[in-house]
Formats: sequence, C-alpha cells, structure tokens
Amino acid sequence: MDAVIYLSLGVMLVAGVMAVMLPSMTKSAIALAVASAALGMILYELGGIWAALFEISVCSGLVTVILISAISLSNIDKEELPKVYEDKKRMALLPYVLIAGGVMLVAVALWAGFTLPVADQAANLGTYLRGILWNNRQVDIWGQIIVLLTGAVAVVVLFRERD
Amino acid sequence: MPILDYITVSFLVIPLIILVLNNLFSKQFVERINFKLVGVVAILQMALAVAGFSLLSAAHWEDYRFSLLWDWTMEEAGYFAVNSLSLVFLFCIGFVLLVAVLVAKATVEQRKTAFVNLVLTLLLGMNGMVMVRDLFSLYVFLEIVGISSFVLVALFQLETGLEGAFKYLVMSSLATVFILTGLAFVFMQTGSLQYAQAWADWLSVQGTAQLYTYLAFILLISGFALKTGVVPFHSWLPDAHQSANTAVSILLSGIVIKVAGIYGFIVLTKLFPGFPPVALALRILGLLSIVVGALFALRQTHFKRLVAYSSVSQMGYILLGLSSGTTLGFLGAMVHIFNHATFKSTLFTNAAALSAQAGTLELGELGGLEKKMPVTGFSSITAFLSTAGIPPLAGFWSKLLIIMALWKSEAEGFAAVALLASILTAAYFLRLQKKVFFGQLPEKFGAVTEIGGSVKFAELMLSAVNIAVGVGFPLILLFFEGRGLL
Repeated sequence: MDAVIYLSLGVMLVAGVMAVMLPSMTKSAIALAVASAALGMILYELGGIWAALFEISVCSGLVTVILISAISLSNIDKEELPKVYEDKKRMALLPYVLIAGGVMLVAVALWAGFTLPVADQAANLGTYLRGILWNNRQVDIWGQIIVLLTGAVAVVVLFRERD
Repeated sequence: MPILDYITVSFLVIPLIILVLNNLFSKQFVERINFKLVGVVAILQMALAVAGFSLLSAAHWEDYRFSLLWDWTMEEAGYFAVNSLSLVFLFCIGFVLLVAVLVAKATVEQRKTAFVNLVLTLLLGMNGMVMVRDLFSLYVFLEIVGISSFVLVALFQLETGLEGAFKYLVMSSLATVFILTGLAFVFMQTGSLQYAQAWADWLSVQGTAQLYTYLAFILLISGFALKTGVVPFHSWLPDAHQSANTAVSILLSGIVIKVAGIYGFIVLTKLFPGFPPVALALRILGLLSIVVGALFALRQTHFKRLVAYSSVSQMGYILLGLSSGTTLGFLGAMVHIFNHATFKSTLFTNAAALSAQAGTLELGELGGLEKKMPVTGFSSITAFLSTAGIPPLAGFWSKLLIIMALWKSEAEGFAAVALLASILTAAYFLRLQKKVFFGQLPEKFGAVTEIGGSVKFAELMLSAVNIAVGVGFPLILLFFEGRGLL
C-alpha cells in the first residue's frame, strides 16, 4: 500500500516539524508521538511488524508519557517559552522550508525510480526474533539493561527537585 | 581456565553489585561509604586486569571469550572477550577511576549518591566497550558512556556546566548518528557485525564496493573523531572539561575520550586493514590536533581549559602512533594512552588543589604559589615535563616510540612535525608554570597553604607513577623485546 506509506511520510514530516517548532512543550511532545506513530505505520507497511510494534508502543506511547510527566514536573514558566519564540520571527519560514524540502526529496525519489525495500521474511516471525534476541544478541541485552539503569539514574538526577 | 572466567565476569558484575548497593540503603549510610567502595572497585579492577594479563600471557592465548548467564559456545551466540589490548584499557580505566574518586572525595560535597551511580554506569559502559566483539554491541556500550558522561558534566547544574553538557550532548548525538549509519553500511556489505566476521567479509567485498567502503569509513572516522575531540571535531571538549567538576574532568580527559574515541579508532584500523585512506586520515587528524591543539592551548587564560586543549594535542600523538600500522607505533600509542592518563590526571588534580586553596583557576589572578603549595607545584612540574616528552619521564618514551615508528614507516615529515610540536607543548606549559607557581605572590594568597588529604595523596601517587614508569621503562621495553613485540 504505497499510498499509506506516502501519506504516513507526509504526516511524519509535518508532525516532526511541529515537534521542533511548537512553543508549547506539551504540544511538542504530542506532535513527536504523532510522528512516531506515522513511522510505526511505515514500518508496518514495509513488513517490519515487530519494529512497528516497538516504535508505536515504546517511542509513541511510553516516551510520550515520560516526556509529558517530566514537563509537568519541571514547572517551566508557561509565559517564558512563547516569549523566546516570539523573539525568533526570522525562524517563521523554517517549517515551510523543511516541508518543501521533504516534498522535493519524495519527488526526486519518485523521479529516480526509487523502490521501497522489502523486509526480510524473517522479520515477521516472532519465534525467530525471540531466537535472535536470546541466542545471538545476549551482549546487547546486558547492554540495554545497563542503558535502562543509566537512563533511570539520569532522569532522577536531571529532574530532581532542587534542595 | 575457570579462574579467568571469574576475573573477566568481575569487570561487569562488581560495578553492577556496587550500583545496587549504592541505592539499597539509606542515603546517610551510603554516603559515608560509597566513595570508599568505588575506590575498592577501582583497585580491584587494576588487580584483576594485571592478573588476567599474566594468565593470558602464560597460556599464550590471544583472546579469552566469556559470557554472563548464557552459553556462548552455541552457534552464532554473542560473547564478551578479553585480550591484551582490552586488559590494558581495563587497567587504565581502574587507574583513572581511583584518581577521580580521590579527587571527588574533596570536591564533591553534594549529590554523592547520584555521582557514584553515574560513575558506576560510566565504568560499566567503558568496561563493556573494550570487552565486546560485535560492532553493534560496541555502539550500545558507547551510548552508555555518552549518557553517563553528559549527566556527569551537568550534575551540579552550574550555568556553565549546563552549557558544556549541552555541547557534549549535541556533539555526542551527532557522533552516534555517524557511527550508527556507518555500521549500517558495514552490515549491508558484510551481513555481520561480529568483529572477526566483518573484518574477513569486508576484505572480500572491498574490491567491488568501493563507494560503500568510503562511505562507511568517512562516517565511522567522523563519529570516533567527535568522541575523541580531535581537531576539527574538538569544539565540545574544552567547554565540557572546564565546566565539569574536576573529578569529572579527570574521568573525561583521563579515560573517557580514549575509550569512546581512541578505542573506536583501533577497531576501525582493524576493520579496514590495508585500506590506504585509514593511515592518511589518522595522520592528518593527528597532525592537525597536535599543532592546532597546542596553538589554542598557548592562548588560554584558564587552567582547566589550557589542560583540556593540551588533551586535544596529545590525542594527536596517539593517532599518529596508530597510523604507522606497525607494532612499534601501536605499542607507542598504547603507552602514550597510559602516560596521558597519568600526567593529565595529575594536572587536573593540581587544578582541584588550586581551586580549593586559592579559590581561582584564572591564570591572570594566580602566581608565586610554588613555596605555598610545594607538593602541587612539584607534581605539576613532573606532569608538564612528561607531557612535553622530557627524559627520563614517562612521556618521553611513548613519544620516542611513536616518532620512531613514523620514521620507520616512511612518514618522516609527520615525525619531524610531531617532534617539533613538543616545543609548543613546552611553551604553553612553561607559561602555565610561570603564571601559577612562579613570579610575585599576590597579597591575597598570603594565607594559602598546601592541600592535604586525598588530593595530596593523589598528587604524590601520580608523580611517583610518572617518575617510576619513566625510569623503569627500559625494563618494560626489554620485556616487550623478549616477547618478540619489538
């Protein structure tokens, strides 16, 4: 379904630009979640079901919850951020430039006859994924456990209330 | 050999246990003992690395594979492994960690539990990096090192600290993108990311896929250059080093840039064996770093910033050693990694002493402190002489080996510039010594006294190592000659 892929690409692009440009951090986090969900759709359509599942559940779901919790905990002055953005009027054209750039990239890809990659059949097999994770990538699993520990410590340190 | 299993597993398990213990008990109790525990971890790591090196040498094994709770002998299973190179790095990591903890004892007064947590995750990341044998796993552990370092720089939330941390975060993320994309190209070409297989497969495809080879090479070399902080990828390094707590600066300059950057370059040289642009790129990056880093150091007015630029310059020597492609050059680079860890840790320890006793690190405000702080002055001078490559101190030998290796590999021009750049090193350190320890003592420093406690102990220990390695190095050379390495 190429139409779904191209539509999702467009949604991802617009949501990505909004995530960077929106003055409200909460709205920015929601735009990021939309961009992640669109990426999840693309991955699903390309046959990477597990990757799509992880993208939607972890990046679009969990990360958004963490981001919004962190934003609400950090007590940022709501008046402050829009003021910063008001000072940057010269950036107003940037979203249009980015979106036009994205559309141009798609146009060039279509013109050059770029074809979408087909996922390896193995990527769809749950047992195979589990096999890879548990039999071949144990070192990475240990690494990921330590990454989670480090992330937890980092969040505690950075978002801790001041004494 | 079961004992090697226990030794190797300990490099990951001991920090994990201490990390759990650090968060298990009450804050009041933990903060009384956690620095001591990390000190013990550091000493244990050095002892285990020496024991592992001896056992590996005695058994004439190149690589010792091991795993944590799984059977690595299964087909295509992943595994950790140690060899002489990783054990040298593990020893250096333990050594710098010990110095950092000694300095932290005097400089970190708040948020000790958070500091120890981050130091332990950093240790796990660095230990993992040098023990994995798969490029993707290398990337995973590199990320741990990056995140821990970033939060350590930002930990005390000073305004400058946040700026330095932010620069580090941005540059580190950029390096991550480069490295990950480079790895994707390697995987596309070889179908494997395990070192041994990727090296072999790369050799078989490079004739037909030059474009992918160049793309992967450029991306990987840029990523690791960013992590090392070599010119022209150095902009984050002085800010991060200057703004962080001095114990964190010791970790960053003493070991993090070497494990996250230089070790990556070592893997890269093995990934592209016989690929001519590797040596050329390393030589150009190395030479630029030596000269530009030294020129920037000459202009600095802040003690820590000057020492940080000196690190940029010294990383250049290590890259030049690696670029020679000879055992002699590799040995010189490895010895310079240890020596740099020693003399740069000494200089940052001096910074901690000056900051605590004189209250400033601005060179324009300091002066005449040699008589007031004799131990700090003496250790600073030994570190400076060693950095400049003055015999018989440790730095002389490693620079000599690197220059000899360059000369033998017909890179006489690079060898000559590297030799002449030592004059620049001497120039910026002479200026530093003159401004800090000699000349007129400002009136406000009349009551300044020598620092005591753990910082003084660290200064004395580092000076002793610096002198002992320098004086005893001929014996080390004889040892390597006996093993047929020279």
